[in-house]
Amino acid sequence: MRCILDGRIIVITSGKGGVGKTTATASIGAALALEGRRVAVVDMDIGLRNLDVVMGLENRIVFNVVDAVKGKCKLKQAAIKDRRIENLYLIPASQSDNKNVLAPEEMERFGEILRKEFDYILMDCPAGIERGFENSVASADEAVVICAPEVSSVRDADRVIGLLYAKSITPKLVINRIIPEMVERGDMLNHIDVVDVLSIELIGLVPMDDQVIVATNTGTPLVLQRKSKAGEAFRRIALRLNGMTDLPIEVPQAEGHFWRKVGAKLGLGK
Amino acid sequence: MFNDFLKKMMGTGSSKTDSKDVAKKRLKFALIYDKLEVSDDTLRCLHRDIIDVISRYFEIDQEAFKMDIRRSDDLSALIVNTPILSAKRHVSSQGQR
Ligand SMILES: Nc1ncnc2c1ncn2[C@@H]1O[C@H](COP(=O)(O)OP(=O)(O)OP(=O)(O)O)[C@@H](O)[C@H]1O
Ligand SMILES: [Mg+2]
Repeated sequence: MRCILDGRIIVITSGKGGVGKTTATASIGAALALEGRRVAVVDMDIGLRNLDVVMGLENRIVFNVVDAVKGKCKLKQAAIKDRRIENLYLIPASQSDNKNVLAPEEMERFGEILRKEFDYILMDCPAGIERGFENSVASADEAVVICAPEVSSVRDADRVIGLLYAKSITPKLVINRIIPEMVERGDMLNHIDVVDVLSIELIGLVPMDDQVIVATNTGTPLVLQRKSKAGEAFRRIALRLNGMTDLPIEVPQAEGHFWRKVGAKLGLGK
Repeated sequence: MFNDFLKKMMGTGSSKTDSKDVAKKRLKFALIYDKLEVSDDTLRCLHRDIIDVISRYFEIDQEAFKMDIRRSDDLSALIVNTPILSAKRHVSSQGQR
């Protein structure tokens, strides 16, 4: 039986690769920990681990999620504590196995152990809808679908949303990699279009931001970078997940454009 | 919006359709098609079951029986076409089992 004090397991998924699941997991996880919650981020991309480098914790790995699930180590030994952010832990993927070493039933049992230790458990799902997806979703209570405003990504998101509904999970949507200038020109789907097509609840809009790559270069948490627009967007998503449901969703805006500034001065801009 | 006004003033964006609108339209159709995609096995079972059901009420020419899924812009239809040879008498409300 689940108890109200048990943590929430949230899977971060997308179907399509490279849309920002790992970036989102690291950033939302860090932001939730900064709110004082105990957070574990779990890299479920077995064989292709990346969450560790994004978080700058790659040289502290001793045990991994496969070891922990198989009982080869204690949960405490596999969970790497972040030294910059209190209450943030990474459970890394193993790099030598493949996705089939774990089974959904094992993950369900592992989820029960995680729930007792943490307030939030974020599962960084691999791309695809095969075993890695099944394992990541097995113990999840909730799901965040990451989608880029682009045809193939939206289509894959729709497929994943269908699979999540089949597991009685009602997913929430984050649109990442938005390029406001292209949206403005009418050359990129805007968030209203995407929500219209996918018809699920939107919880955040994240712009394309150079700071994401800068933060990844150095392995520092994006949400600590005050001037990062993507970092700020992920922080607001974390706040919304953490109960601040009336926090408005900000639509990414193009950089100060001469005519827009004039327009704004004249009270004509949006 | 001021930008739209500017676009029009400069003669850009007024005649050309936005590529994102094309994207949205294509997406909507792609998603419908994706969901209607049925395996050959499913179609074969459906084919057999429909023949079974119709045969309870009518004598039909099974060789000439045709079944097809048609998709047009805004709707999809399952089209069944079969020559009826004769009606069967004494059909109970449950059909003949
Ligand atoms: N908002 C953003 N602005 C700029 N770059 C971004 C943004 N989001 C993600 N990226 C970059 O896109 C790339 C893919 O991101 P990420 O690894 O988070 O995706 P993923 O969905 O986890 O990929 P995979 O499916 O391979 O696991 C990375 O190089 C990342 O730095
Ligand atoms: Mg990833």
